[in-house]
Amino acid sequence: MADSITLNVNGQDHTVQADPDSMLLYALRNDLGLHGPKFGCGLGQCGACTVIIDGAATRSCVTPVSAVQGNKIVTLEGLGTIDSPHPLQQAFIDEQAAQCGYCINGMIMTAKAFLNENPDPSRDDIKQALNENLCRCGTHMRIVRAVERAAKGGQG
Amino acid sequence: MNTQPQDLHASKSSLSRRNFLKGSAGLVVAFTIVDPRMAFAAAGGDGVSVASPASSKLSAWLAINPDNTATLFTGKVETGTGVETALAQIAAEELEFPVDRLEVVMGTTSKTVDQGPTYGSMSVRYAGPQIRNAAAAARQALLDMAAEHFKLPAQQLVAREGTVSVIGAPANTISFGELVAGKQLDIDIEASGTGFGLQVAPKAPVKDPSTYAVIGQSVRRKDIPGKVTGQFTYIQDVKIDGMIHGRVVRPYGVGAELVSVDESGLKDIPGFVQVVRRGNFLGVVAETEWAAIQAAEKLGSTLHPEGPQSAQAKWGEWTGLPQQDEIWDTLRKTTGTNESVAAKGSVDMALPFAAKTIQATYQTPFQMHGSIGPSCAIADVRPDGATFWAGTQMPHQMRADMAKMLGLPEDRIEVIWHEASGAYGRNGLEHVIPDAALLSQAVGRPVRVQWMRWDEHGWEPKGPPIVQDLTGALDENGNVVAWRHHMWVPTTGDTRLVAVELAGLPEIGGEGTGNASITYAYNFDNADVACHGMGRVGLLTAWLRSPAQFETTYAMEAFIDELAAEAKQDPLTFRLKYLNDQRAIDVLRAAAEAYGWESRPSPAPQQDGKMATGRGIAWVNRDDVRVATIAEVTVDRESGEIRVKRVVVAHDCGLVVNPDGLRNQIEGNIIQSISRTLHEEVTFDTSRVTSLDWEGYPILRFEEIPDQIDMVFVNNRPEYPSYGGGEPSTCPTAAVISNAVYDAVGVRLRQTPFRPERVKAAMSQTG
Repeated sequence: MADSITLNVNGQDHTVQADPDSMLLYALRNDLGLHGPKFGCGLGQCGACTVIIDGAATRSCVTPVSAVQGNKIVTLEGLGTIDSPHPLQQAFIDEQAAQCGYCINGMIMTAKAFLNENPDPSRDDIKQALNENLCRCGTHMRIVRAVERAAKGGQG
Repeated sequence: MNTQPQDLHASKSSLSRRNFLKGSAGLVVAFTIVDPRMAFAAAGGDGVSVASPASSKLSAWLAINPDNTATLFTGKVETGTGVETALAQIAAEELEFPVDRLEVVMGTTSKTVDQGPTYGSMSVRYAGPQIRNAAAAARQALLDMAAEHFKLPAQQLVAREGTVSVIGAPANTISFGELVAGKQLDIDIEASGTGFGLQVAPKAPVKDPSTYAVIGQSVRRKDIPGKVTGQFTYIQDVKIDGMIHGRVVRPYGVGAELVSVDESGLKDIPGFVQVVRRGNFLGVVAETEWAAIQAAEKLGSTLHPEGPQSAQAKWGEWTGLPQQDEIWDTLRKTTGTNESVAAKGSVDMALPFAAKTIQATYQTPFQMHGSIGPSCAIADVRPDGATFWAGTQMPHQMRADMAKMLGLPEDRIEVIWHEASGAYGRNGLEHVIPDAALLSQAVGRPVRVQWMRWDEHGWEPKGPPIVQDLTGALDENGNVVAWRHHMWVPTTGDTRLVAVELAGLPEIGGEGTGNASITYAYNFDNADVACHGMGRVGLLTAWLRSPAQFETTYAMEAFIDELAAEAKQDPLTFRLKYLNDQRAIDVLRAAAEAYGWESRPSPAPQQDGKMATGRGIAWVNRDDVRVATIAEVTVDRESGEIRVKRVVVAHDCGLVVNPDGLRNQIEGNIIQSISRTLHEEVTFDTSRVTSLDWEGYPILRFEEIPDQIDMVFVNNRPEYPSYGGGEPSTCPTAAVISNAVYDAVGVRLRQTPFRPERVKAAMSQTG
């Protein structure tokens, strides 16, 4: 049942052997070693697995790998690194916007896709954009401030 | 004190530790992919001990590397609260070392001393002084080494920023790294006791707290850059060469017997390895994670299985859980212990003479930790040893538990710790370890197990339901003449392991008994505060942030508000009349000042319109920390929806190590406890938990967060010790919101969660 499937991730093509019905999350994490996207619920409810596909924030835990061949997939690793963080990642560092941080991938990727479409959002817009992402530590205030900071910097 | 470091290669200390120190430059990279042969060598495969280092050796706590970086070793673990950075600050302060060059190795049993589990807001409070003294001893040792180097008395030297200089001749400077020159700090510093009670380097010359330069600073957290870039390695991210994947298949009913397993079709799943069955413990193992998920699904691991016989694993009928809507009656009927918390005067004799007596019952449900990342562990169980990769809050205890389960000596077992998704207490992270162990033992390979969402929601230990009866009496002047508070509390400390129970193995851990977890501090003339403590009632229960005290504070602090309202007195003034605890008085006053509290009784004057606004106050003394919280809430009279708009917290945990870290933690506690107050209730039928995803167990979302959370730190001064700030600020929230709702609309909410339908029902009852 395993097929050769080519995925374009963070600007590069990768070929993986996978059940076409298997979910993108497992290919990213286990085959490509990209640990930014996280398994949270496997049900598309929490947002921890979010990646950006062709500009749209997408739940990789419920996206079959066969459905995204030829699409442009961006993961958290595709934004920046510890040594050279993306301005949005830097805003999360500046606001110290994480506790355990397990949800943060989803927060940043959802915010990234949102800011691309809405570069000058209000605080309520940001809350609405993140409303389907769950955080259990209660870091919400800082996450909102981090997205605001990035937007104000004009570099979301 | 012996200050001569021994050559690493001549050291007789454990091989693994020596190798670790030699290779520490590559440590961060090496964490991601671990060569199993290395793990085997490190885990006693050649008869080499992987015991923890001796707490009396300085090398057990600190290493100074040739490049003048340093490593702090601590048995404590990071759970998202920032304790890694706080403990690093404490060490850096005493060591006179730049905190950004100090790495922290946490939890791993072969590399760290057992300082007790990471729970109960006790890390900074108890592990802090242990690390402080070890670091002070290290500073003294380095000064002694420098004295030999410079041929000068140590008194003429000063340690600063990782170097030692000659006083008055700053050109004569040598770095710590040069002084230690690649050797291990094999120096005896004396230690006695264990865990929280461990006393380390009692003679070490610790600094005067008034001179602190690193403690008290909002040092940025060490872990956040990695966490926001995907470069951080959570336990869920660890990969071991040769590792395969497991999933558990839990019983349909909590106590159901496994009748049969139909394995047909499993072999058609590419990569399927085998089914593992031991008693009622059932799991699958496969070469890939996806195959393990597919195989487990066939056996019945799905979000909502239709029944005990609906999948290929057949379970017996089991309906041993209490009825959910009768759970509080069930508690009252359950036998247990009786604990008196306060007994003063005679409530029974005072009641007949009271001008007014009121009674109320407060009910709180099962709640869950609800970690965003389901629990995960990797086990490599071999005939003569075992290695675990785990995110547990108690690696050293889990080593002991696994030694017992596997029949192996503790020094042949290593628990390599990695941070997990936040746990907020004892969730599935301990339980997934024996799951992985049983699967690895069966297949003879390293097996990674991650729970599915429904495993975590269904089988993580819960916070227990609690019912509380209160009676209060006032005289004709509105003074409290009697106070009775009785509570029924199931265990918050059941440490028995799910897999061990399912497999029918000899018991590990214990059931525990519920206790009051309350600090009664009012000085009423007649008081009777008692707890009826029980073991397990229905579901497995263990500690969840501020165990039981979140609930008991709710009842105590809402009921005193009821008495204040009955007496038509301002709720703050009313509390202050009956308090002698100066720190409690100080936080209440500080919160009131920051909020702009105006003295008046509740409820607020009648408000017209759809939205009503109210304010509430409550406080707690949890483990020597005082917290007072005030909130402003709105109540939508039409929908019954409550929104918390503004929160003020006055917090006294003594000297604050990292102010921004504490603010982060308090914000988290406030938001999580708002969530628990407004939304959270585990649902179950007589067989099983039925709230198995985020639809069944909703938590607070972004659109519901407060506009503002302000904080005041009280007694944040060097003359006070640092108590733990991890969880106390959770406690007042339910009472604060209940009191604010009463202030807004005159309705008293005595049962959590305050979901809109319950609020509407309460409003309609009072008309």
